Amino acid sequence: MKIGVYFCNCGSNIAEKISSAAVAEAASFFPDSPYVTIVDFICSEEGKLQFEDSLKAEQPDRVVVAACSPRDHEATFRSCLTNAGMNPYLMQVVNIREQIAWVTEHPGVATEKAIAAIRGAVCRVRLQQPLEKKQLEVCPDALVIGAGPAGMKAALSLAEAGRSVVLVERTPFIGGLPVRFEDLFPAMECAPCMLEPLMGDLLHGEHPGKIELMTMAELVEVTGFYGNFIAKIRRKPRHVSLHECIGCGECVEACPATTMNEFNSSASGRKAIDFAFTGVLPNAPFLMEEVCVRAQGVECRACKDACPMGEDVVDLDEESTVVERTIGSIILATGAGLYDASRVAGLGMGVLPDVYDAMQFERMLSSTGPTGGEIVTAAGAVPSSVAIIHCVGSLDEDHNPYCSGICCRYAFKFNHLVTAKLPGASITHYHRELVVPGKEAHMLLRHAAGNSSTTLKRYAAISDLAVTRDDSGTLHVCSRGEVTPVDMVVLCPAVIPAEGTDRLSALLDVSCDSFGFFRELHGRTDAAQSTLKGIYLAGACQEPMDIRSAMLEGMATAGHTLAGLQPGRTIEIEPIAAEVDENGCAGCRLCLSVCPYHAISFNSEQNISHVNAVLCHGCGTCVTACPAGAITGHGFTNEQIMAEIEGVLQ
Amino acid sequence: MTTVESFEPKIIGFLCNWCSYAGADKAGGMQLSYPPNVQIIRVMCSGRVDPQFVFSAFEKGADGVIILACHPGDCHYKEGNCRALQRHCMLNLMLEQLGIEKERCRLDYVSAGEGEKFSRVIGETVETVRALGPLRLDQ
Repeated sequence: MKIGVYFCNCGSNIAEKISSAAVAEAASFFPDSPYVTIVDFICSEEGKLQFEDSLKAEQPDRVVVAACSPRDHEATFRSCLTNAGMNPYLMQVVNIREQIAWVTEHPGVATEKAIAAIRGAVCRVRLQQPLEKKQLEVCPDALVIGAGPAGMKAALSLAEAGRSVVLVERTPFIGGLPVRFEDLFPAMECAPCMLEPLMGDLLHGEHPGKIELMTMAELVEVTGFYGNFIAKIRRKPRHVSLHECIGCGECVEACPATTMNEFNSSASGRKAIDFAFTGVLPNAPFLMEEVCVRAQGVECRACKDACPMGEDVVDLDEESTVVERTIGSIILATGAGLYDASRVAGLGMGVLPDVYDAMQFERMLSSTGPTGGEIVTAAGAVPSSVAIIHCVGSLDEDHNPYCSGICCRYAFKFNHLVTAKLPGASITHYHRELVVPGKEAHMLLRHAAGNSSTTLKRYAAISDLAVTRDDSGTLHVCSRGEVTPVDMVVLCPAVIPAEGTDRLSALLDVSCDSFGFFRELHGRTDAAQSTLKGIYLAGACQEPMDIRSAMLEGMATAGHTLAGLQPGRTIEIEPIAAEVDENGCAGCRLCLSVCPYHAISFNSEQNISHVNAVLCHGCGTCVTACPAGAITGHGFTNEQIMAEIEGVLQ
Repeated sequence: MTTVESFEPKIIGFLCNWCSYAGADKAGGMQLSYPPNVQIIRVMCSGRVDPQFVFSAFEKGADGVIILACHPGDCHYKEGNCRALQRHCMLNLMLEQLGIEKERCRLDYVSAGEGEKFSRVIGETVETVRALGPLRLDQ
């Protein structure tokens, strides 16, 4: 085997400590007696040409480059090999600059150490094999789960770039949580007005053909991997055709069955066939099968008969269907929920009337909500005093140790709205910490703090607070002996992962953190990527987040899809990856348990593991874990590493 | 007989590509001199360090081995350094059974920015192994 050693002087950086002549002399005793060529600056344009010309002339079988760190120029030297017609993986770089010349005091000692290191590389490179980057055809389209701010932004951005998007939403409407709010912090903008252009674009905009919206739908199965996922989505029956319904509500009038409306925090009723709330988009009612009198065996077709658009709009016999779509990436934008404030003892949630959590209060403030936007007590009176309790279940080791980040800002939004709707009403904020970040939200704090009827009180622990109710119906907030009578209490509970996050996590094999939010690949550098390649995270499904950040993350996840998956372009699969020798695999599945990327699957029929090279990151942990030695870590095989160890120690 | 003063131990250092190998480069960039006794073998992840590499190093003449990983929680491959730690615990037991002092095989954490720590850890390891004397497997 012909081996070439290319020794870079790096000007005087290497040359003043390591003698190239001594290396050349020692090399004649290395296995296969490699030839040694000395280059002054092998990474310079001139040096690269000299390197390539020499490779063409000498035609070595393997190459060792003794120069700077491979972290600097391994890719440069690989390109030179490619240019010279060689497989780029038939080379080993020895780091004689950063790790020898620059850190060793005596030139003689440095030379000796370099000779041993180069000998190790020569022994190793003899065993290296040509490796090829594989190409994979991909689907450039995306599946977005959740049609809140983050999901809508992701879907619209992708559609704008010409990609097809399947947008799956669990509820019957789009807009997520904020579409149910009246005003938004920090600028007190009308929420439905702010979201309307986005929602309008999504439903009837310039790229409607690109977005396939499925409401009342959920993901049931995903197979495949980055670039080629196949998703199965269950569409529950709405019983109303979105294409034909004009949103007149005649069917609602006609319907005889009623229940409580969960989208109004069950503070008002609805018919079995009804809109989620006034002004909802898509502007069509949905039928709750379990509430419809037909569920009790009663023959009823009142809604169908009432429809002015004909027989086909209401379909009482519609059944759930499962559809299949091929996509290249999946964007999770499933949002967040609120911690159950009744789990925080002593605050009266769910026990005392006129104690509301933030979502219930948002609906009360909303003109489309159960009271049409009026702040009224359960008895129908206008409250003259309101207590707002921050940090309920946040910053609390007994509940959720993290700060939910958005609560102080919406609490001061509440202050603003209560002041506007009930002039003169006294408002007391009980807070553990005050967190009002950003360049705009300080105005809300200033407004509240400057409001003569507002009092800010700090408490040390939520257990210092208790909400009670006297016989006259007045609530009392007791804080360490100090009692404040109020007519209404609003609790700001911790922001927690949306219901169903754990189900999706299990279904997709995407990790969650200890709080149950989806875990980012890296909290700073890769916060919009999940732990699984090709599955991205947008919005509050990964941590408590405001609308601005959720929208930005929606864009970020669209960006990942646009950058990674391009129509007509294949993705390259790195050859530094693991591969299972099917004949050697004993089927113990240890490799599956150590792979951090779920890149290994198990074929139980053949009783063998298989590494998916698209998902493999090449760390080699499975190679080491395999008790049968049946996994090869290409580029870093056991034999190569052992040969290097032996070579440097000779 | 080799005296402690004149004995120069041979040590193999397994460094993960992302943190500790970069930390070694950083020490180089800072031109921090450290003893020349450690020959560095680059692996992509400390989780790739197979106990058989360690045994092989001792068998082929190394007096010591050092495995350097990303700090816990910072692993480029999420948890490979945890595997390295688990294997190191196991190695400690096996080495003692073989009559090899467990101090000859050190695991430590060096980040890409810790050039000084890298050079200190190398210095300490060389001194520890020097004090233990040459490894004699025939005993």
